Amino acid sequence: MAIIEAAGLRKVFRSLERDPGIGGAIAALFSRTYEEKVAVDDVNFTLEPGELVGYIGPNGAGKSTTIKMLTGILVPTAGVLRVAGIVPYTHRMANAANIGVVFGQRSQLYWDLPLRESFELLRSIYDVPRDRYLQNMKHFAEILDLDRFLGTPVRQLSLGERMRGDFAAAMLHDPRIVYLDEPTIGLDVVAKEAIREFIGTINRERGTTVILTTHDLADVERLTPRIILIDEGTVIFDGLLERLREEYGTHRILVVSLAETYAEIAVPGAELQSREGAVIRLRFNRRELTAEALIRRVTERYRITDVSIIEPDIESIVRRIYLEGYHDGTVGAPS
Amino acid sequence: MSALGDLVTPKVRFRLEPYFQFAQKAMAREATYRFDVFTTVASVLVRVYLLRMVWVALYLRNAAPTDLPLHAIITYSTVALLMGLVMDIDQTRILHDNLHSGTIATDFMKPIIVPLYFFSDGTGEVLFHAILIVPSLLFSLLIVQIDVPGPLVLAAFALSCFLGYMVGFCINFILNCIAFWTLEIHAARLIVTWVTDLFGGEIIPLVIFPAFLQKVAFALPFAAMFSTPLLIYIGHIKPAGYAAALGLQVFWLVVLGFAATIIWRAGAKRVIVQGG
Repeated sequence: MAIIEAAGLRKVFRSLERDPGIGGAIAALFSRTYEEKVAVDDVNFTLEPGELVGYIGPNGAGKSTTIKMLTGILVPTAGVLRVAGIVPYTHRMANAANIGVVFGQRSQLYWDLPLRESFELLRSIYDVPRDRYLQNMKHFAEILDLDRFLGTPVRQLSLGERMRGDFAAAMLHDPRIVYLDEPTIGLDVVAKEAIREFIGTINRERGTTVILTTHDLADVERLTPRIILIDEGTVIFDGLLERLREEYGTHRILVVSLAETYAEIAVPGAELQSREGAVIRLRFNRRELTAEALIRRVTERYRITDVSIIEPDIESIVRRIYLEGYHDGTVGAPS
Repeated sequence: MSALGDLVTPKVRFRLEPYFQFAQKAMAREATYRFDVFTTVASVLVRVYLLRMVWVALYLRNAAPTDLPLHAIITYSTVALLMGLVMDIDQTRILHDNLHSGTIATDFMKPIIVPLYFFSDGTGEVLFHAILIVPSLLFSLLIVQIDVPGPLVLAAFALSCFLGYMVGFCINFILNCIAFWTLEIHAARLIVTWVTDLFGGEIIPLVIFPAFLQKVAFALPFAAMFSTPLLIYIGHIKPAGYAAALGLQVFWLVVLGFAATIIWRAGAKRVIVQGG
């Protein structure tokens, strides 16, 4: 049975509309006009227990609003929401016991206290049995390498250390579901990798259901086969990353190092994308032309020393979808 | 859409333990600012000394009111300054801070009763500062002499102090709740501080105000914070008047507690509907 179900989820914010300046502020005291902003329009998805899904979208697409509704701190305007059989916003406290949350931009650790004391406080809040707490702490200290700074006040930690602390804090009570909102933002590559490793581990070993919101598509590529793309408050794609790549990543690039200098380069079926010295880049549609055929055409015309193929990266695919909209597999199909 | 599964109606057991922990951690947090401890005690001593000078000078030039001799007013202002160590703390500042930084959202994502969390945290902070009363009192005794009343009066004073603290908590809580709408409460806080200083009886005993101003001051809730316990301490309120004095404090506590509940609910609703 699904652990998270969202059906027709909608959230409309009402904000006071007023003219700029002091005059506008005073006028707003007397006559109020409200502006409605649809943050989440119609979101539908289901998650099975133990799934790890990337929840992707541009800024303002409604990602954070969805997460807030899932955590029970925001009441939807319409739609149905169930998290582990609970309606989050009517049973905020019970829902809170089931979930763990990590925000890349803000910490749930206690600023002035050593990291260790934040963990003890959380143990008490979530009523984690002592032995389970020690077991978890030992495990997390090992994979997140926490021991070095457990006694350091949180405000003195580096961003990477703080994030590792936040991850341990979110997982201490063995939540069934964790929401990760931009967890790798601002981290260096080493810290990013450590965090990704940790997310993968808890998902695999503990069967924790994970919703991962991120701008860094490398997080997603590394961690999850399934993504949900949201734009303007609506889910525009829900499925395997691989499928998205197949439908949209129709163009590959053949990089060729030429053995001689040629005045003009032209290969039928491919478009010359760039030319730097002896290295040329040829863009081609893999549905129209196989790599093997293209290489043959190139070698028939020019003497070469080396070739390599660049696959389309997920980043550029997603960028293209934001710009063009999703067309359900029709884009780039052979005509 | 599939059938949405069995709806669970969960029960959450209330445990007091986390709230003790919040208070304890708040005390530990306050203790990390050690320099603050010295400056706080020093500032009390300076004020004790200055107020004594002021009252002595004033009484030299004027006839002392019959019911408020010099030793009584010096006792009054010294005890007031010691009370201020606890009462002047805005225990619920954390609410404003968390609204400002947006961490209020993470507070709501935890299985805790959020206002009770603020209360525990603030009380822990206050308890730490209450410890400072001891050294402040000892050093103050080097500067001034303080009257010490009998056990009945001290007991009534302690009870009245507790009620005054709770009234102060409600006032601060309401004040910080304003941040739900405005985010910034600096001006409102200044006004409340001035009004409390003037009408709370912390600096000047309300009984030496002109009759009209006395009426105003005693009709406001601020008198419940400082004036009532202090007038009990110096014996201006006699045991026969305890019931009425304490009753009035309870009245204000109920009224402000009710107001605080309403304004909190409205503010919290704003967060969950408007997203803060």
